Amino acid sequence: MKFVEEFRDAKLGKVVAGEILAAVDPDRHYKLMEVCGGHTHSIYRYGIDDLLPENVELVHGPGCPVCVIPMGRVDDGIAIARHEEVIFTCFGDMMRVPGSTQSLLEAKAEGADVRMVYSPLDALRLAKANPDRQVVFFAIGFETTAPSTALTMMRAKAEGLANFSCMCNHVTIVPPLRALLDSPDLRLDGFIGPGHVSTVVGARPFEFIPADYGKPVVISGFEPLDILQTVLMIIRQLGEGRCEVENQYTRVVPYEGNLRALEVMSQVFELRPHFEWRGLGFISQSALRLADAYADFDAEQRYEVPGVRVADPKACQCGEVLKGVIKPWECKVFGTACTPEHAIGTCMVSPEGACAAYYNYGRFASEKAVA
Amino acid sequence: MEGQVPHCDHTTGCITCGDEAIPMDVLEVDAGRGLALCADAERRRSSVEIALVDPVAPGDRLLVHAGTAIARAEVAA
Repeated sequence: MKFVEEFRDAKLGKVVAGEILAAVDPDRHYKLMEVCGGHTHSIYRYGIDDLLPENVELVHGPGCPVCVIPMGRVDDGIAIARHEEVIFTCFGDMMRVPGSTQSLLEAKAEGADVRMVYSPLDALRLAKANPDRQVVFFAIGFETTAPSTALTMMRAKAEGLANFSCMCNHVTIVPPLRALLDSPDLRLDGFIGPGHVSTVVGARPFEFIPADYGKPVVISGFEPLDILQTVLMIIRQLGEGRCEVENQYTRVVPYEGNLRALEVMSQVFELRPHFEWRGLGFISQSALRLADAYADFDAEQRYEVPGVRVADPKACQCGEVLKGVIKPWECKVFGTACTPEHAIGTCMVSPEGACAAYYNYGRFASEKAVA
Repeated sequence: MEGQVPHCDHTTGCITCGDEAIPMDVLEVDAGRGLALCADAERRRSSVEIALVDPVAPGDRLLVHAGTAIARAEVAA
């Protein structure tokens, strides 16, 4: 596909890597955070970090929505899924995220009707096809996914679908970034900005990072050349003493975002006063719930949920991984008690999760090297 | 429905939840239903909600996430 293959060209990648090497100050250490889990995945899939100079370190941020879901919310979802009349729908990765006693997949094995869907519209179709059942969609994701849920809820309301509801866990990107920047144990030089969240919210919401915290942000695409060019743009900003929001991903991201998507989101959602993030704790106004006009479609109003906060397992260090304080392999249980097959922490569940990306690619690569 | 959707795995990344969208080319438009038949790089076809980016025409490149087009993407000449 045009405009995909070109951005995976290995020769061009080496050229950009050479430019990065020429641009870095050898006496300085650069610590850059990729906010989005999609970037983490690309970095390990294509071995991008191996092309960077040793003094350029990439750390992984909180941008995988599966990784930041707290166990209490999984428990709430399972409580709804156990209702006999309910068909509980969610994205694939969500089914394996551990709650306090079990995952949705384990609840399914015990008889709950839990089904994987590719989009909220699939859940809506399921509701139409099963008028005798109640279909609940477990909505999760940043502003990339929220418009899809919003359109689905608008369709459900317009069609007066009484057997469809949504358990809303959508989160917003800016509050956790601010929380990270306020964290005393975090030392960062710049951000690789989330490309696809930005197609919806635009570049403007990130302007507070250079303005208030003095750190550059470059919004990046997901192909290897995109990420390498983004690293170069950040290094150049730092070298030239500039500090601003730049857009590497101009072929997709308009500076103002998708105004129509923002409009449908504002009609369907409102901000929650606070929401718990795994590893980051409660963050004010960092998540969305259905607005009053959509209260009839709110699964949390339709069903009683435990709503209990559950502490993370003591052995799990997802919090430090999500904040970029430690690397995944520095976690006490990485690759031993916690593997993709038997995940303790959420970062090991989703392929976008930093731990799973390390496990699946980093470890595989080192084993190959030894062999 | 479950059999029709690809599963998440570590070689392709998370298909739905990683907040990463995929580029797809528009093949046909059903304006009445607000949907377009699109194909990804592997020529897998699916029906896509286009309310957030329309009007679209065959040949357009869209960025699709969770069954919804969230942006247009440039197409190389």
